[in-house]
Amino acid sequence: MTLRADLQGLTPAPLSAARAAAPAEPGAPPPALRAEGIGKSYGAITVLSDVTLDIRPGEVHAIIGENGAGKSTLMKLLSGHVLPTEGRLLQGVREVAFPDAAAAERAGVVLVHQEILLAADLTVAENLFLGRELTRGVSVDDRAMNRRTAEVLASIGAKCGPRDRVGSLPLAQRQLVQIARALLEPRRVVIFDEPTAVLAGDEVTALLDVVRGLRARGVAVLYISHRLDEVEALADRITVLRDGRMIGTWETAQLSQRDMAEKMVGRALGHLYPAKRGAASAAPLLEIEEISVDHGAVLASLVVRPGEVLGIGGMIGSGRTELFEGLLGLRPAQGGPIRFDGRALPRRSVSAWQAAGLVYLTEDRKDRGLLLEEPLAANLTLQALDHLNPGPVLAPRREAEWLAKAIEEYDIRVRSPLLRAGQLSGGNQQKLLLAKVMLTDPRVIIIDEPTRGIDIGNKSQIYGFIDRLVRAGKAVVVISSELPELVGLSDRVLVMRAGRLVAELSGDEITEKSVIYAATSGAAARGGAAAQARENHTAAQAGTGQGAV
Amino acid sequence: MTTVSDIAPPAGGLSRIRWMDMAPFIALALVIVLGALLNPNFLSATNIANVVTRSAFIAIIAVGATFVISSGCLDLSVGSMMAFVTGLMILTMNKLAPTLGSNAIFVGAGLGLIVGALCGLVNGLIVTLGRIEPFIVTLGTMGIFRALITWMSNGGSIPMERSLREPYRPVYFGDLFGVPIPVVITALVVLAGAFILYRTKYGRRCIAVGSNAEVARFSGVSVTRIRTLTFVIQGLCVGIAAICYIPRLGAATPTTGQLWELQVITAVVIGGTALRGGKARIWGTIAGALILEIIANLMVLSNMVSEYLVAAVQGVIIILAMLAHRFIR
Amino acid sequence: MTKTLRRTVSLLSAASLLALAVGSAQAQDKRIIAVSIPAATHGWTGGVVYHAEQAEKEIEAAFPHIDIVVKTSPSATAQVSALEDLSAGQKLDALVILPFTSEELTGPVEQVKAKGTFIAVVDRGLTDPAVQDLYVAGDNIAVGANTAKWMAEKLGGEGKVVVLRGIPTVIDDERIQGFTEVMKDTKVEILDIQYANWNQDEAFKLMQDYLAKYPHIDAVWANDDDMLLGVLEAVKQSGRSEIKYALGGNGMKDVVKMVMEENAMTPISTPYPPSMIKSAIYMVAGQFNGQAPMRGSFKLDAPLITPQNAEQFWYPDSPF
Repeated sequence: MTLRADLQGLTPAPLSAARAAAPAEPGAPPPALRAEGIGKSYGAITVLSDVTLDIRPGEVHAIIGENGAGKSTLMKLLSGHVLPTEGRLLQGVREVAFPDAAAAERAGVVLVHQEILLAADLTVAENLFLGRELTRGVSVDDRAMNRRTAEVLASIGAKCGPRDRVGSLPLAQRQLVQIARALLEPRRVVIFDEPTAVLAGDEVTALLDVVRGLRARGVAVLYISHRLDEVEALADRITVLRDGRMIGTWETAQLSQRDMAEKMVGRALGHLYPAKRGAASAAPLLEIEEISVDHGAVLASLVVRPGEVLGIGGMIGSGRTELFEGLLGLRPAQGGPIRFDGRALPRRSVSAWQAAGLVYLTEDRKDRGLLLEEPLAANLTLQALDHLNPGPVLAPRREAEWLAKAIEEYDIRVRSPLLRAGQLSGGNQQKLLLAKVMLTDPRVIIIDEPTRGIDIGNKSQIYGFIDRLVRAGKAVVVISSELPELVGLSDRVLVMRAGRLVAELSGDEITEKSVIYAATSGAAARGGAAAQARENHTAAQAGTGQGAV
Repeated sequence: MTTVSDIAPPAGGLSRIRWMDMAPFIALALVIVLGALLNPNFLSATNIANVVTRSAFIAIIAVGATFVISSGCLDLSVGSMMAFVTGLMILTMNKLAPTLGSNAIFVGAGLGLIVGALCGLVNGLIVTLGRIEPFIVTLGTMGIFRALITWMSNGGSIPMERSLREPYRPVYFGDLFGVPIPVVITALVVLAGAFILYRTKYGRRCIAVGSNAEVARFSGVSVTRIRTLTFVIQGLCVGIAAICYIPRLGAATPTTGQLWELQVITAVVIGGTALRGGKARIWGTIAGALILEIIANLMVLSNMVSEYLVAAVQGVIIILAMLAHRFIR
Repeated sequence: MTKTLRRTVSLLSAASLLALAVGSAQAQDKRIIAVSIPAATHGWTGGVVYHAEQAEKEIEAAFPHIDIVVKTSPSATAQVSALEDLSAGQKLDALVILPFTSEELTGPVEQVKAKGTFIAVVDRGLTDPAVQDLYVAGDNIAVGANTAKWMAEKLGGEGKVVVLRGIPTVIDDERIQGFTEVMKDTKVEILDIQYANWNQDEAFKLMQDYLAKYPHIDAVWANDDDMLLGVLEAVKQSGRSEIKYALGGNGMKDVVKMVMEENAMTPISTPYPPSMIKSAIYMVAGQFNGQAPMRGSFKLDAPLITPQNAEQFWYPDSPF
């Protein structure tokens, strides 16, 4: 219905600019849920205003925007978790109000939360029916619940069974259980809040299939995600939010990923990834030989050189995190030797590594990275206390200075330096975490999932920081499940599969395809001779691995 | 790029935090006002001195408990440990009195500190190296220490030699520039505790471990070392309390320090320290200890409560204090 | 404790050995007296344990054919279990018991009696007096009443007194009852009665509070000598001179010593001697040594311990 505007390099006109959306577009089915001028204010602070959109049966409607753009608020307004302070909701032509989430669910609208909200010690079926158990007389009817659970699980292609304990399931399966819980009753509108944030590779593919399955059954899907490639592959229409306001709604075909990103940020983007530095040739800073980590890595050997970004690829569960946590002494590990800057390390522990000049940024910044209840300064200096204070006594005034410096250097956006870490957005938390480990003055920085769950603006900044560190002669190891990131950042990539390092890629060999190939298939990727040799070496000892994920 | 989530907390955030920190002191003030209204004798210098001096033991032990609790642990053994340490100190002093005279007191005091620290170390090592819940470990050692004092005293009492009573007496009944000695000692302990907790790397790490042990571990903090040391600090505090306690009645009995662990924990929690760890309010702890002692004092001074219902009224007041905490936030 | 445990163990193994020996005449001759008492958790029960063990030592030395098994229990339920354990493996010729509570122990003791065991009950009677063959007890009402009489007389029939009571139990109630009933008929005013749990520390605090609350106190009665020690310390600290008497009860050795030394503030005490357990054991042992069994109720009087007779109540080696 619009011109191919992007041919002329112009931004396409929105399909429905805010209020202009016609309730009865010709040919379009009536919306399953429609919001008109909806918004939310807390006192004087408006977090979302004047959003008008409709979600039609049988479509996937994506909501994109940076962290804090108001996506979460919008979803909570639509699903009854938060009451709107302006505007109204319609189902068909009937105005509806959802005083709470239960009311929304009765109306067929359900939100699948981003966080996993399941009781780890209960079984899958017990979780699905928690609070709405089926009963026969006074006793719970486990058989009926298990049967119904099995049906729902099968309908979304989950591999787990109704009697499995949720705590024993991998993350991806837990995510599916959470979705199954939302789909226990027939739904008209299902809202997904970043369902793939913690998934990788074929798990994402499987989840997208679940969403497509819902669409095929005529369910209206609202889909929130940071991953623009996913949105492009999945969504029929896209609504962009920025700073609590709606920018517009477009047909997916109208926007490239770059367009989406620019609309989210509100300005033209430069290159997302900094220019590569090329393979480093300096003497290695870190040398590891045949380290094995319990329930993780098998006989892993690698070197890290100053002036390079070493990417570690592979599926979630392939042992990447485990390998480095084992190296750091955070998990039981055997083997060696390990040399840092040519010297053997006396013992594997976070503090010993830190003293030598190596730090590790966890992928789990909320549970392992930051003390969410503590102030920013306490978080910033926790790891570097010995480094910063020669005696046993703290220096409060200098802490404030360090914090001010970190805020400036890493562009941490804070309203007040007295905030607690938990009050920061994900992107700012990640920057604080980076600043925290950098206070120890390391030479090798291992970053596990550097941009998980953070928006594109912060992402590009973090890539910039990584580049700056490497150009200053430090070495950065990036473990990432996001292929574009891995490919865009790394000067060299090692791929893990089932606990083994199976391929080494450098230069032009680093492509999404080659990484996926090495991470999933049995044969070696199209790598250099060294990687080939490594593959032969490990394959000889490995026999058959456990299979990826 | 202003992100809305960073602006989310309402503007009143700071003043709100300050109110929460003040809560135990406001409660203390309320209890004092209540006391003054109920009985004019309450504010007499003697009564105030008595009450404050009496609260010294709980306060000193509670300073140690603030460390243990803020690091995410719990110590139920403090009351029995106190009885055990006093018993051992008195036996030692009695044995040394004939040869050393009054100097036996110093040896006894030193021994009390060492034994207290060792008892704490045992608790700490079992908790950290044995990876057993502190609740269970200290429940066990609580029984052990209590049985040891009962055994040492044959179920009776362990009295201090008469010759030592007079020279030792001032440590409880004496004063320094008008301030009772136990109060002076409590003040020193609190100042030291506050300094360690708020001004040293150790204190910072202690809070970090209590706030989230995993984060601490990933940040290169030895959770084992930090937690074990909190138990040692707790033991030292018990030793200090024992030194002040002995001259009061000059004896240790199997009922010495009975149920003190509960008073100590109550004082710490009323003071605003979180029972799950990660938040330490050492000055609040002192307010909590004073509140408990004043309530007990008021129960006797006022004629309003039947002797049979005293414990119930105390319970109600403690719960009210905690509810006030909840609603002030 | 350890000693009794070891003894029980050796006894059990001895018993099993004897059971193997067919028709052993020795086993027939050996008389077993079981003694079940509360564990030593405070002064008075500490005294009970001490005297029971003394009796065991003396009687076993004098009469090799009598075996005394002393078993202490920390609670009423533990005491019930202990009774079951004692009577399970062997035939008890006699049981001497100081029950934790009357209600809970009556049934279990009855069961022991059903097997033909001679039952001697000390201090706290059972709810069904028919169960006990022998009953030895102190007189708690007399403890309170005799103290009150002495105090009222010395105060000239008028004055103000404060009272510290122990733990809510029958013993405590009876002592308070005896005291208040006597005082009712005098002009002595009881200013206050509060619990101090038979604990020195709590008595010290309570007395401090009494002193703050009442500007004039003529006398103090703590219904147990443990508490009296806390009271005396608080009075001493206050420097108050109007308090003429501070009395206790139970005949704790420290207090008996004060009476012997003619202490002005505490010139008397009243006995409630833990040694009554020893008397009961001796009375029971007598029937296995040629005497006829002694049956009936023996209520110990609560005579005042005065400087003149204090020597009789002085047990320097007892922990109480």
